[in-house]
Amino acid sequence: MKFIYHYIILIILLFFSLSCKLYKKEFDNPVDYIANNDLGVGAPALVFYPKTQTIPQGQSVKVESVIVFHTDSTESFTGMHLHIQFPNSLLALDTIKPGLFITDTSNSTPLFTYNFDGTNQIDIYTYFLSAIKLDIEGTGHIADIVFNSISSGTDSVSYNLNYCQMININDEDIPIISRRSAEIVIQ
Amino acid sequence: MNQEPTYLVLNHFDKDIPEAEKLLVQNFNDSKFEFNTSLENIFSDLDSHDNPASSHMAKIKELGKQYKVNFILLNKIEHKEDRFILDGLLFNTRSGGLIHRRKINLKQYLDGQLNELIMWVGNTLNRQEDEWQKNRETILFMDPEGITYDKTPMGAAIRSLIAPGWGQAYSNKKVSSGVWAGVEASLSLALILSYLNYDKSAKSFLNNTKMYHTTDDEKLVSQYRSSAEKDWNDHIIYSRLAIALASATGTGWVSNSIHAWVFGPRPYTNIYQEWETSPKSKKG
Repeated sequence: MKFIYHYIILIILLFFSLSCKLYKKEFDNPVDYIANNDLGVGAPALVFYPKTQTIPQGQSVKVESVIVFHTDSTESFTGMHLHIQFPNSLLALDTIKPGLFITDTSNSTPLFTYNFDGTNQIDIYTYFLSAIKLDIEGTGHIADIVFNSISSGTDSVSYNLNYCQMININDEDIPIISRRSAEIVIQ
Repeated sequence: MNQEPTYLVLNHFDKDIPEAEKLLVQNFNDSKFEFNTSLENIFSDLDSHDNPASSHMAKIKELGKQYKVNFILLNKIEHKEDRFILDGLLFNTRSGGLIHRRKINLKQYLDGQLNELIMWVGNTLNRQEDEWQKNRETILFMDPEGITYDKTPMGAAIRSLIAPGWGQAYSNKKVSSGVWAGVEASLSLALILSYLNYDKSAKSFLNNTKMYHTTDDEKLVSQYRSSAEKDWNDHIIYSRLAIALASATGTGWVSNSIHAWVFGPRPYTNIYQEWETSPKSKKG
């Protein structure tokens, strides 16, 4: 009889150990225009990648500035002005570098410059001025911004679209529809 | 005047029973027996008559006069598989009528034909001995209360609960055992395959989701998302299939156990002892 009890317990344990867990679909990569669209962020959009980062206090954190187009409606752009705000109570600007997308993995050298107001606002300017490469098209990485964490807390790095601009080769504005911020958690 | 009854005995056996005549003489020595095997099937049409008792009166009287006997005793034994049928008829040669008849159908037991023949003749002579009755009763277990049943319905149910079909096999029901075992094995195999596919899809989904979140390459993001969505759909389908199959397997498993209990081994209402087949000489 003991054997039967053990057998039944084994079957029950097997049943629970083999139970089927159903996972939830969570697609929320800022570079994914479909996920952005599901969140009400239309393309073209200025986003940061990754959407959230958690770091210990004292360490540096890198956020990537990315322009995201819908794959069916990409437009060529020649220049871009990004206006970025960051929480200076938590972060201090360290470095700004051009992204691999606009440098074509170091194969092109567009004009890339930035201006930091010394408080919490950064303006990044990038333009294709050469006669060989006039513009660029598609979703891609515009700039890397590296911050140093100075105190613990949670806040966001964000774009101010009122000052952001994207232009084509004819110096015409390409409207930037929306934006996504990046959350930084400093422990 | 001779008082002892005299018999003309006509033995019609489908198989040779060599001791029959000798035993009759030994057991009923106060009666006189005349044996005749040449008169065959003279009363074979007895049952076709409206009144079998008076159907052959003239013939009986004639035989009575011919053999100078009071009675004609006709003993017919026919064997059918493990049983035998004894049809005994007693005719009075004075009236020519059938005065006594016994027809019994019994499972064979040791020297059963001889014992039944003696009992039948003893019955016609109003003589019964306990030994004959005991011999007949040996066909039955003497103490039915003492019979222990090695196989029980609960034993079958438990076996089927452990392994589907085992309980039926234990009850000597080979076909249903095979069917239950086959059905449950198929369902279990399908369940295992569904679960393995679910597991594979779920792991692949988690892996593709992780890769999706850790890349900033537009093309890779699209590729991982597409793969993850396919895996997600697969893991839902296989999960539902596994749950349905698990339900079917579980229900079948329990049903199989109940089936084993319902159709499990139970005692027969008539139990016979098994005997040696070689006949032994019988002495009264």
